[in-house]
Amino acid sequence: MRFEKSWIIVRKEFSEFRKNKYILYSLFLMPILMAVVLPTVYLVPISTFATPPANHPLDLGISIVQELQGSNLSNGTAENIRFFNTNLDNMIVYKCEFFNCSIVNSVVRDSNLTSSTITNSVVEHSNLRFSATTDSSTPGSLFLGSQSESEKYLVLIIDSLLMFFVLIPAIIPTVIASYSFVGEKLNKSLEPLLATPTSDTELLMGKTLAIFIPSVLVTWISLLPAVIIVDLVTYPILGYYILPNMIWIIGVFFVAPLFCILSVLVNVIISARVSDVRTSQQIGSIVVLPAIAFFIVALAGIVVLNEVYMLLFGTAILAIDLVVFYVALRVFQREEILVKWK
Amino acid sequence: MIETQHLGRVFDGTVAVEDVSFSIKDGEAFAFLGPNGAGKTTTVRMLCCLIGATTGTGFIDGLDIREKSNHIKIRSMIGLLPENPGMYESLSAHRNLDFYARLYGVPESEREARISEMLKRLGIYERRNDAVGKFSKGMKQKIAIARALMHEPSYIFLDEPTAALDPEAALTVRNFLMELKKEGRTIFLNTHNLDEAQRVCDRIGVLKTRLLATGTPDELSSRFFGKSTVVGLKETNPDYLLALRQLPGVLDAKIGDKCILISVADPASQNPSIISTLVAKGAQIEYVQEVKHGLEDIYLKLMGDSK
Repeated sequence: MRFEKSWIIVRKEFSEFRKNKYILYSLFLMPILMAVVLPTVYLVPISTFATPPANHPLDLGISIVQELQGSNLSNGTAENIRFFNTNLDNMIVYKCEFFNCSIVNSVVRDSNLTSSTITNSVVEHSNLRFSATTDSSTPGSLFLGSQSESEKYLVLIIDSLLMFFVLIPAIIPTVIASYSFVGEKLNKSLEPLLATPTSDTELLMGKTLAIFIPSVLVTWISLLPAVIIVDLVTYPILGYYILPNMIWIIGVFFVAPLFCILSVLVNVIISARVSDVRTSQQIGSIVVLPAIAFFIVALAGIVVLNEVYMLLFGTAILAIDLVVFYVALRVFQREEILVKWK
Repeated sequence: MIETQHLGRVFDGTVAVEDVSFSIKDGEAFAFLGPNGAGKTTTVRMLCCLIGATTGTGFIDGLDIREKSNHIKIRSMIGLLPENPGMYESLSAHRNLDFYARLYGVPESEREARISEMLKRLGIYERRNDAVGKFSKGMKQKIAIARALMHEPSYIFLDEPTAALDPEAALTVRNFLMELKKEGRTIFLNTHNLDEAQRVCDRIGVLKTRLLATGTPDELSSRFFGKSTVVGLKETNPDYLLALRQLPGVLDAKIGDKCILISVADPASQNPSIISTLVAKGAQIEYVQEVKHGLEDIYLKLMGDSK
């Protein structure tokens, strides 16, 4: 396969897209709707009526002077130290930070504890994030990692907004592909194109890339305003910036492009059977159904929307892409196009 | 050289082309005549490696069209003007040609000059930056021809190049085809237009699923109508027929309206003896003319015979 031939087709397609107002509308309006309007509409009412936050992290004014990694400390005091993977026993600690540490029989004050376990200790006026306590007291401290039911619900809604970022690169290709393939068919410009010294794969690759590149770029670009809106709206409730997180990164940078490819290829197959741009768009829209189904299942609590499921979902789409690519290659052959495309 | 050997194509049980064999020499202009659905476009598509043949094969410059590995090479040697111009209507004439020049691999150093030259030659250079969608059918057809010639192909296939054009635009296109012929390019023309075929092409093929006949118009006329001379007379007389039928080389003679129609093997050599025989019999001759049958007569006869 000669990539330069495909790239010539990509550039020609871009020239045509720039002249097509429907394609331009879909490239600009769809992201604005999905990445700006809908997150705002979903989240603003929740933040407006939510209880004012009581769980801002405490401003502790910690000034770290030393870092310790993987040691065992006992029977002493510590101040202004950042501990990683450290076991502390029978210690008095003041203005320190803990990451993945174990604290036993100790007194901790004015400190930040992240992903640590506290046993039989007193933790006073500190921030505890994703940390667990056993037989301990925590006067004046905040548990930031744990979520109330309403916070859990809010996080679920935020994660479900990811669906729109999978839908953007799935819907835009239905519009572009309908003009790219069906439009070319209606215009009867396929025959001279097929008469050029290019292979079927080069032509399909060129057409596919021309649709894939703007669809995915627009999706990625629209991630920024969406993250800003979500974080601005939800920070007062959650007390931390929830986006970007790993689920969204996997969704936007792994699942969304795969969905885009699926959408393009499905539209190639549909284009072979229809001779009207609108019909092609309507039938092509069915490609969004697996994404919607997945997120409905997640919202219903049947599966937990986490990194593992997102990766599995992406892998499933990848497998479908490969099958559909094979079918599209068979459909996108000169003979098929000239003889059977109606 | 373009050659086919027993070429055939069947679509879902329907025979579109059957057992078609012909050859076209380099630099020759060949016209395929036939009614709609005769298989002309299918034959061109097979030769351009756009669709496969069900039976037989074809060769372009010695390359077998059945071999998939030859397809890209064959397509780089041919220029195809399909039945519909199929331009990218939102793009300018220049951008359309530039796209195809790139796809055909025209070197960057020559691309711009070639596009300009082609546009000037076809008289549309001034409108090179206008969107093709704003052009008339004739102008679109000119650009489509330019597109087929961007890579200076040796073999040019034209499928109904003047169909749906007004007479002026058709004339421009036809004149351009004559120029291409003078340049020594091999031209394969599908057409309904008998006059166009006769003007542009050296040889004709008449197709109706099967190839009914090939040859120059004169050859076809002789083959299907024989050669004949018509002698105009002041008065006709049956005795003239008896005398003429005895002459060597005269195949038949019939009396018409103040004329005699004489079928002969070779009018040029027979006409003097025909005239002297008639004069000897006292006939008053008004004119002598060799009868030529046009392509229309040939075409209609072949179509009638094939029913």
